[in-house]
Amino acid sequence: MSNKTLKLWRTFKEGWQNFRRNGWLSFATVSILTLSLFIVSLSVLLGVTTSLILDTMREKVSVNVSFNPDVTEERILEIQKELSKYGKEIASVQYVSRERALEDFLAKNNPVIAQAIEEIGENPLLASLNIKAVNPEDYPLIVEQLQKSTFQNDISRINYEENKRIFERLERINEATRKSGIAIGFSFIFIAILITFNTIRITIYSHRQEFEIMRLVGASNLYVRTPFIFEGILYGLSAAIVTIFLLFGIAYYISPLTQGAIPQGNFMNLYLQNFGFILLGLILLGMGLGVVSSAIAIRRYLKV
Amino acid sequence: MADIQPIIRFENVTKTFPHNPNVLENVSVSIMPGEFVSLVGPSGAGKSTLLKLISAEEIPTEGEVYFNERPVGKINRKHLPYYRRNIGTVFQDFKLLPQRTAFENVAYALEVDGVSTEEINAQVPEILDIVGLGDKMHKFPKQLSGGEQQRVALARALIHRPKVIIADEPTGNLDPRSTDEIIHLLLEINSFGTTILLATHNKGIVDNIGRRVIALDDGHIVSDEMHGKYVVPAPKTALKL
Repeated sequence: MSNKTLKLWRTFKEGWQNFRRNGWLSFATVSILTLSLFIVSLSVLLGVTTSLILDTMREKVSVNVSFNPDVTEERILEIQKELSKYGKEIASVQYVSRERALEDFLAKNNPVIAQAIEEIGENPLLASLNIKAVNPEDYPLIVEQLQKSTFQNDISRINYEENKRIFERLERINEATRKSGIAIGFSFIFIAILITFNTIRITIYSHRQEFEIMRLVGASNLYVRTPFIFEGILYGLSAAIVTIFLLFGIAYYISPLTQGAIPQGNFMNLYLQNFGFILLGLILLGMGLGVVSSAIAIRRYLKV
Repeated sequence: MADIQPIIRFENVTKTFPHNPNVLENVSVSIMPGEFVSLVGPSGAGKSTLLKLISAEEIPTEGEVYFNERPVGKINRKHLPYYRRNIGTVFQDFKLLPQRTAFENVAYALEVDGVSTEEINAQVPEILDIVGLGDKMHKFPKQLSGGEQQRVALARALIHRPKVIIADEPTGNLDPRSTDEIIHLLLEINSFGTTILLATHNKGIVDNIGRRVIALDDGHIVSDEMHGKYVVPAPKTALKL
């Protein structure tokens, strides 16, 4: 082992020994760091989940154009073809025949209503085109164009107004959650840095008499400082590991609430599918917080 | 005789602190290799400051301190730790690392230098044996008596085989028996050629040693005797009144 690696290994051992021998202080620091990491990662995860839920709901928003009963299927398919040309604005146009509409309707509603319809003996539903926009913001424009189109007389009803209200509300919620998510996330990261910095400062403060001794015995500044950087890394690492377990617990409890609301199925799946990424993120964030806090604290309280 | 250089030389050294002017005033003194020098004088006479100037914990306001004829004040801050390995220091309050055993305290001085673990494991017990603590290597400072703690500190000061040992009131916190043991050890170390600077209040010690005594008072050297006794400076209180 070269002189440098030997010293590096020794400063690591120093850091590990400080970490172990100051059991209570380490415990307190790791707890606070864990709390910070937990709050930050939870707000990020919940933010991601909310936006996934909103995306899923947005997917379900569409404009439904019903045609008069006398319009032939050929004509409707022609219109569908026409609309499909606007690939930039319109994502998909799906034809729903009268028979299909009835089937869907019967499947969705209870047997009493089904029976009532059977008694009428005639299919009261209209054939329609279900239009999905590439950009949800484009729906008003699409509706406007439909109303001015050459086939405006074939249209019985454009089912958008009620969708519109839901849609606008979704947009508002999405906007609000995104903004507050960012704000909350950042304030917690800020608080986390402050708390971690302060805790490590206390650790260093409790060691301050030793620095003088170390220097007098011939330790270089770097040799005195490096163990604290390693200590910071150890705090971060431990906190990341505790946090990943805490998040597992949270995932277990809130997973049923998100069943089917997000593309991943539920929150637990989302968590497990991204486990490696989350763990890596937590370790990096934890170690980053620990190291940065240590470095600042050392600079301020270790004027050697 | 002419080719022997002083190991430590003060040249017109003045040290001033913002709230404590002229702690040392125009001090010039030379110490030769292998000397055992007792530094005496009342509290605040400047003994500790003089020693700190040697270990470069303080730098002179005026004048220059030389170690082996090299100016200490010109040493780059980065190189200070390496310079300090030439000097072993012992303090009144021992300055041991409380979280480390006797062995680890001594080993630390070698670890920082990148000495191999095998060498550390060979050298540390040896030096602890010399100070008579071979059987208490793995005790923490708080498990040792004052005298034993000071012997650990002395072992640590010796581990680099320094040319100079600086002892600032090393017996200030010790009972008479421990005091005798420490002084005896210092004399023994000196007999192997190490220069010793001992600052003390203890008249009995100085008179017993019978070596060079430098007396400081109010920032000045008031006497410097090759086979000196403890000098009690004339009280100045009357003058101040």
